[in-house]
Amino acid sequence: MKNLSIFVRKEFLHIVRDPKSLMIMVLLPLVEIMLIGFVLRFEIANTNLAVVDMAKQQQSTKLIHRLEGGDRFKVRLTQSMPEAEELLTEGKVKAILYISEDFDRKAVENSESSLQLLLDATDPNIATTIEAYVKATLADFWVDSIGGSPVPMLITEQMFYYNPLLKSVYATVPGLISVVLMLICALMTSISLTREKESGTLKVLLISPLKPLQIIIGKLAPYLLVSLLITGIILALSFGVFGVPMAGSLIMLIMVSFVYCLCALALGFLISTKAKTQQVAMMMSLAGLMLPTTLLSGMIYPIKNMPLWLQGITYIMPARWFVSILKHIMLKASPFSAYAGELVVLLIMTGIFTLLSLKNFTTRFR
Amino acid sequence: MQAFISAQGLVKHYGNTLALDNVSFEVYQNEILGFIGPDGAGKSTLFEILTTLLIPDAGEASINGMDIHKDYGKIRASIGFMPGKFSLYQDLTVQENLSFFANIFGSSIEENYHLIKGIYELLKPFANRKAGALSGGMKQKLALCCALIHKPLALFLDEPTTGVDAVSRTEFWDNLMQIRDSGIPIVVSTPYMDEATRCDRVAMIHNGRIMKLDTPDNIIKGYDGKLLSITCKDRQKPKALLQNEAAITSLYSFGDALHISLNNTDASTLKLISSKLEQGMDSPYQIKEVFPIFEDCFLQLMGQMKK
Amino acid sequence: MSDVIIQASNLSRRFGNFVAVDNITFEVRSGEIFGFLGANGAGKTTAMRILCGLLAPSSGSATVCGYDVATQSEQVKLNIGYMSQRFSLFDDLSVWDNISFYAGIYKMSRAQIKDAGNTMLDKLELSKYKNRLVGSLPLGWKQKLAFAIAIIHKPQLVFLDEPTGGVDPITRRAFWDMLYAAAIEGITIFVTTHYLDEAEYCDRISIMVNGKIGALGTPLELKEQFKVLSIYDVILALARGEEA
Repeated sequence: MKNLSIFVRKEFLHIVRDPKSLMIMVLLPLVEIMLIGFVLRFEIANTNLAVVDMAKQQQSTKLIHRLEGGDRFKVRLTQSMPEAEELLTEGKVKAILYISEDFDRKAVENSESSLQLLLDATDPNIATTIEAYVKATLADFWVDSIGGSPVPMLITEQMFYYNPLLKSVYATVPGLISVVLMLICALMTSISLTREKESGTLKVLLISPLKPLQIIIGKLAPYLLVSLLITGIILALSFGVFGVPMAGSLIMLIMVSFVYCLCALALGFLISTKAKTQQVAMMMSLAGLMLPTTLLSGMIYPIKNMPLWLQGITYIMPARWFVSILKHIMLKASPFSAYAGELVVLLIMTGIFTLLSLKNFTTRFR
Repeated sequence: MQAFISAQGLVKHYGNTLALDNVSFEVYQNEILGFIGPDGAGKSTLFEILTTLLIPDAGEASINGMDIHKDYGKIRASIGFMPGKFSLYQDLTVQENLSFFANIFGSSIEENYHLIKGIYELLKPFANRKAGALSGGMKQKLALCCALIHKPLALFLDEPTTGVDAVSRTEFWDNLMQIRDSGIPIVVSTPYMDEATRCDRVAMIHNGRIMKLDTPDNIIKGYDGKLLSITCKDRQKPKALLQNEAAITSLYSFGDALHISLNNTDASTLKLISSKLEQGMDSPYQIKEVFPIFEDCFLQLMGQMKK
Repeated sequence: MSDVIIQASNLSRRFGNFVAVDNITFEVRSGEIFGFLGANGAGKTTAMRILCGLLAPSSGSATVCGYDVATQSEQVKLNIGYMSQRFSLFDDLSVWDNISFYAGIYKMSRAQIKDAGNTMLDKLELSKYKNRLVGSLPLGWKQKLAFAIAIIHKPQLVFLDEPTGGVDPITRRAFWDMLYAAAIEGITIFVTTHYLDEAEYCDRISIMVNGKIGALGTPLELKEQFKVLSIYDVILALARGEEA
């Protein structure tokens, strides 16, 4: 235990002596969350929407008022479909809502409604979002004005249920945490372990009373602490600046992050047993871990939209399970049973990576 | 006397290359055994086997009765090792490096300060300087202190003087003598032939084989034949003149002189050589019989090995 | 003055408060083998980098092959050859690829490279190994190849930074034979070494101590000047003088 504390102290000295890397470790998540929070947002405000109201009755007018309220849509009333289509082609509106003559009657009868939504799908992301907005507005309208349950056509998608304002930050923060933790835990540890290899100090460490396990824990522990600190920074930013909710238990969140960090550390350790130089370790970490984590964790691209074989690959990404658990805890406040399965998968992965790297960590060479 | 370190028939291949070819030797308490040979001779491989980092293909070795296979954990906890490059933490200070290496052995600088005192006094003014900012000679001294600070049973130093200037090298060997006298046996390797005389016994190693193992004196006495040294202004001249002389077994430049090796120095041979020089040389020269130095012996053994 | 190839006048280089090269003045004559000695940290590397046009002097001036190192470093670089301790060969390229790469850097034409490259390989008796990867060659061969490549563009002057570290005594002597041959062809050799017997092989040597030139002359002159028998003792005397 004393040996370990000596080792950890030394490792902290390395971290402190290299202020540039330390800055990168701390600034990177800050910059990334700012970028993703402010730039990579999929929600849209003040969408130009053409409405063709053929009914011109009480309910349809109410609906139009409803759409105009709030800052989501700028409604342009047009007299005919051709006129509206012209606006759409010119790009002056992004979508057309067509209200047919029998809208009021059908609405009261609570039967299938006669609404048609035409979307400019040149940018599918925006189109989907507009569609969702319109549907959501209609659903509210139905409940408030007609008083009945929404007709089948107007079922809102579950995905928006927990993110009613469709704030993309909510969805990206868990992904971001997973990427940044992977970066720090795996990249930094793999580099710091290969550095000992390159400088020859690893040989001196092996020829000492230190047990291999002590060397490894000593190398990994400081990075685990730094990672947890950075998780804290990201969360504080998410709550403070972007107002991401913290629906579930903070303690659970920290515990799950801890497991994920262990998993990433084990991956970094595994890389260092394979890489001979710091450069190779860096390339392996960036290309083999960072990139897939960013692209395949479901942070930017929904897993559902991926081809099947790629979806298969996401199952072996620790980040996929971690992001899923984070969403459960942060956005849904689900009970433990809802994500216990994912947590088990994460624990098994951590165990496998640790065993693999211990097996590959040679203390006597052939 | 019981050997402190012994190795029997060590063999190591890397792919098709034979790095160590049936190497056996013994090291006694209170001695410095030097392995002298060029890069690629197998010195580092041998050191890694002795320090249990590398598993040999065949052969046995033990240190103070501890077997390199069975007791490698015990060996690791009790020896001091200085690998090829000075393996220090460049971003830690002199003091931090030293106390780290003392602490991992459960020791402290104070406890064994007497062992490193002579060496560390010189480093003390730089105690708070980062190891990376030290000169080569200073780094080397610090690395030695780090290997010594836990009072090891034996010291293994792999090329500790490579790339260090001549004056620092001499000081370093003085330090090694003191350490040996305090009762710690030392196994050391070097590519510099002139350091052979500082060892108690020397193993000349080339292409993975020990060509000869003996005291420096005996090695020099064992030189086969006689040696003449020619000094003159234009060194290339006598070389060209004597190149194809049958009586001469070898002919090498040594600093400002040319060393020629002869099987015998009877009057007729000497006369032949001096007449050759007399005819060919256009500037004054000196010729005299000299004692071989260590490098002469190494060159001779290398020549014999080729045959 | 045409026979002076390096002329350094009051050359200094400071790094912050540290004076690495302290007001040195010396000349190297065309065609000689000039040994540049000194302890680690004495300023050898810094001085050599200035002379190669890689580092600007803080004060003073130097001309190499008639060009000013501070203002005409490009011309300096074209007229010199350089071989480092680690040989700077690409281990993962073939012998021929290394030759044509370095020759290409010095703006040699395709025909020139072919011509000079083949002549060089014949001389080194390496023609058979033209397509071998450099990494698979023995150390001694690599060293010879590195030197031959450093002078393939027929520079007037070649800088060698500890070219013989770690090689066996026979190879080391064979290497010096190559240096003599190059010197006879008129190439000036500027060499640093830690082997003191090699210092004796040089026509003239300089010994740097703490950024200054502590001694300069033929090996014989220096030994007489310090009344000692070997260059090692000269260096020792200089080191002691500095401490006192």
